[in-house]
Amino acid sequence: MEKTGAGVNIIELRRITKRFPGLVANDSINLEIARGEIHAIVGENGAGKSTLMKILTGLYQPDEGEIYLNGNRVAINGPRQAIWHGIGMVHQHFMLIPRFTVLENIVLGSEPARGGVLKEKAARQLVEELCRRYDFRLESDTRVWDLSVGQQQRVEILKVLYRGAEILILDEPTAVLAPQEVKELFVNLRNLKDQGKTIIFISHKLDEVLSIADRISVLRRGRMVGTVLAGETDKKRLSEMMVGRPVLLKIDKQESQTGQETLVIKDLSVMGSMGRPAVRHVSFSVRAGEIYGIAGIEGNGQTELIEALVGLRKVHTGQVFILGQPIVGKSVREIKDLGVGYIPEDRHHRGLVLPMTVWENAVLGLHRTREFSRPASLYFKKILAHAERLVREFDVRLGSVDLPIRNLSGGNQQKVILAREMSRDPSLIIASQPTRGLDIGAIEFVHKQLIKARDQGRAVLVVSADLEEVLSLSDRVGVIYSGEIVAEFRPQEVTLEEIGHYMLGSKAQPREGVGA
Amino acid sequence: MKKRFKYLLLEIASPFIAILFAVLIGALVMLVIDKNPVEVYRTMFLFSFKRLDSVAIILFGMTPLIFSGLAVAIGFKAGLFNIGIEGQYLIGTFLAALAGFALKGLPTFIHLPLVILMGMLGGMLWAWLPIYLKVKRGVHEVISTIMLNYVSFSLIHYLIADVFMDKQQGLAPGVGNPIIRLPKIAATAVMPKMHSFLSNFGINLPQHVYLNWFLVLALLMAVGYYFLVWRTPFGYELRAVGHNPAGAETAGIKPGAVFFKAFLLSGAIAGLTGLSDLLSYFGYMDLDFPRGYGFTGIAVALIGKNGPLGIVLAAFLFAFLNRGAEGVQAFVGVPMETIVILQGVMILSIVVFSSVMGRYIRQQEKKEAALGSAAGKPGVTVGAQGGVK
Repeated sequence: MEKTGAGVNIIELRRITKRFPGLVANDSINLEIARGEIHAIVGENGAGKSTLMKILTGLYQPDEGEIYLNGNRVAINGPRQAIWHGIGMVHQHFMLIPRFTVLENIVLGSEPARGGVLKEKAARQLVEELCRRYDFRLESDTRVWDLSVGQQQRVEILKVLYRGAEILILDEPTAVLAPQEVKELFVNLRNLKDQGKTIIFISHKLDEVLSIADRISVLRRGRMVGTVLAGETDKKRLSEMMVGRPVLLKIDKQESQTGQETLVIKDLSVMGSMGRPAVRHVSFSVRAGEIYGIAGIEGNGQTELIEALVGLRKVHTGQVFILGQPIVGKSVREIKDLGVGYIPEDRHHRGLVLPMTVWENAVLGLHRTREFSRPASLYFKKILAHAERLVREFDVRLGSVDLPIRNLSGGNQQKVILAREMSRDPSLIIASQPTRGLDIGAIEFVHKQLIKARDQGRAVLVVSADLEEVLSLSDRVGVIYSGEIVAEFRPQEVTLEEIGHYMLGSKAQPREGVGA
Repeated sequence: MKKRFKYLLLEIASPFIAILFAVLIGALVMLVIDKNPVEVYRTMFLFSFKRLDSVAIILFGMTPLIFSGLAVAIGFKAGLFNIGIEGQYLIGTFLAALAGFALKGLPTFIHLPLVILMGMLGGMLWAWLPIYLKVKRGVHEVISTIMLNYVSFSLIHYLIADVFMDKQQGLAPGVGNPIIRLPKIAATAVMPKMHSFLSNFGINLPQHVYLNWFLVLALLMAVGYYFLVWRTPFGYELRAVGHNPAGAETAGIKPGAVFFKAFLLSGAIAGLTGLSDLLSYFGYMDLDFPRGYGFTGIAVALIGKNGPLGIVLAAFLFAFLNRGAEGVQAFVGVPMETIVILQGVMILSIVVFSSVMGRYIRQQEKKEAALGSAAGKPGVTVGAQGGVK
């Protein structure tokens, strides 16, 4: 049974096709994955990466095509069968139980037991053996809520290994990690590879893919564009394969012409959901005509900070001024009316009302202005004209403004939000994760718009988990860690290494309660 | 645009298909109890529609259901499930009855509107606590309104039987027992029937029919509901909050305030539900005052898909079924429960059919949107890389 050596493909997909109503998610895809390689699959959002992986893990059945494992044709009817075949998936969003220990999380679902009683010793032995073999440094009795994000990811990987996976699929594994953590992950992955595991690495971060993968397969719009050796390609060529046309990788921008301080934050503290301070004594300011970026690993107070600035969350202590006006205690509407455009981090949750039409969403928040309504009636003609204008100016691709906005792609939805907020002619734009989940074309567009706004003399505050984005977009950058701005600099002044240290808090003053 | 019309048609067709389906299931039930379904349905129709007074009785019967249906619907639109219409209309009816018998010597044009306003006030009052608890304390409105329904039942019982009971009902000593009821409302608070108005058009209704002007008020209310929800900025906020409170909040709308207004409005409309019976048919409130309009109102709103026309039609449907049930019970010997089963199946099948249809329409829309965006996309088409050189 056991076939080893080069030339034998552990996985072969032949002419895999999967259709959904209205689109072909996977169009006759051929893919060969060799045993013991790290194979990256790249592509924009909607290119069909996750559909393909769901077919591999049995969550979807292909409409056409064949799957071969070790040269034998198989049908994979569900995740349980996938793992039986040795295929395990590490999800982007961790599926861990925070109050359980590492050990409990790993064995959960396939506990060694006799007569319904957990054999804890056996479980512990198995898990610790795994940690040793792959050099995963984890305390098996630590509760998961005490772990860093990188460590939690290791637990996820161990979960899959514990179930006997020979093939590991990692879905955007670096999305939530700091640069140092990415390095550690790569060390772990190379270890796994050396031990004979096969790794499928899904990503759209080309630098990382180029550094970790042996071979790279590119998907575009449901089709396989091709597979290349990582050593024989570069970022430029890869992104062209992904998008189908040359892409600007560097953001084009002039020196900023800054004016007066538009947003001033003084000693701001904000409570988080659990009643613990999420933002602590933050002070900084954003000038007209500059982009101020906030870098940091997610969950370090970014959300709370932004929500406090736009009035969605109560300010605990401190002061905030927009255009010289104190805004603490003001309502969302009052703050936005001062001249604030807000692009929320979760556009489905905060930015749009999905079941409502495109034109209704185009005036969300503007519907009470005298231009669009009186208390007794909305001015439908003006609203429709406004919506059509936004759609035209921001090049939103849609069938009709009369359809619910949930039918639009993420990029087009974001364009509607951007267009709507810009139509308020804001002095300050607060953009939280403005390009999350968008494809390269839309990302370019959003970046250009933000820079254009800056060049028009608006102040722009950008929060992003994507460090590269923050660095290339911003004129000044603040790093947030555990609710504090621990460093502030210009993007050219510091190395990636150093920023990573700030993001992980290893350069901040030690204090009690960190990570508690 | 042509497609939109097709969707609209499909959406309208789905409840009718569902009703047909329910009629078939109902026929099966009748076969099981050894009745001829054709005969039963025929009797239902003839009994209901052959005579003018029967039609008027159906119109009288749909009046409270329009109010309760609208009350439920306006809650639904804001994302609130007001299951407490029942309690709200009982309290509203009580306050209206109180103002109806306690105030004397007012002219009709003051007394009657005042009594109606008292009804709305009562409904609002009973809606205030649940929405206050929801907005300020996060208590789910379904729980609090259900419990307040029970409180209202007992409270009304107490108020009627122990506090305000009419002790002088004018019965001769030794003749019968007095009814446990409130005193009769003053003549100045009675809602006039539509008989004299309709006789202008040659429609002459007998005196045992109580069709009154509340029907017109209910229809006007449905029109007002349409304008409020779909044409005003407040209605826009209502729908935005109903679909996505967090998104609305981010846009500067205060969900709590919208919840408050919508729920009080719902309660106020609910307060009108019992008034047609009180101010026209009974003239007093007793312990057996009709119950259940509130719960039927949920079904009405559901079947009417929270739209004004749909609610009016659904209210008509339920009133017809109730009337028809009396007919088949009397003439064909089919127990009323059969019709209750029919109603139940109807509600279920309409919910299922419209959800299936909704899913289909959404799918189609998605397709259309995908086509639209693909057509508008220059340069980046599938496989263009090789071709465009």
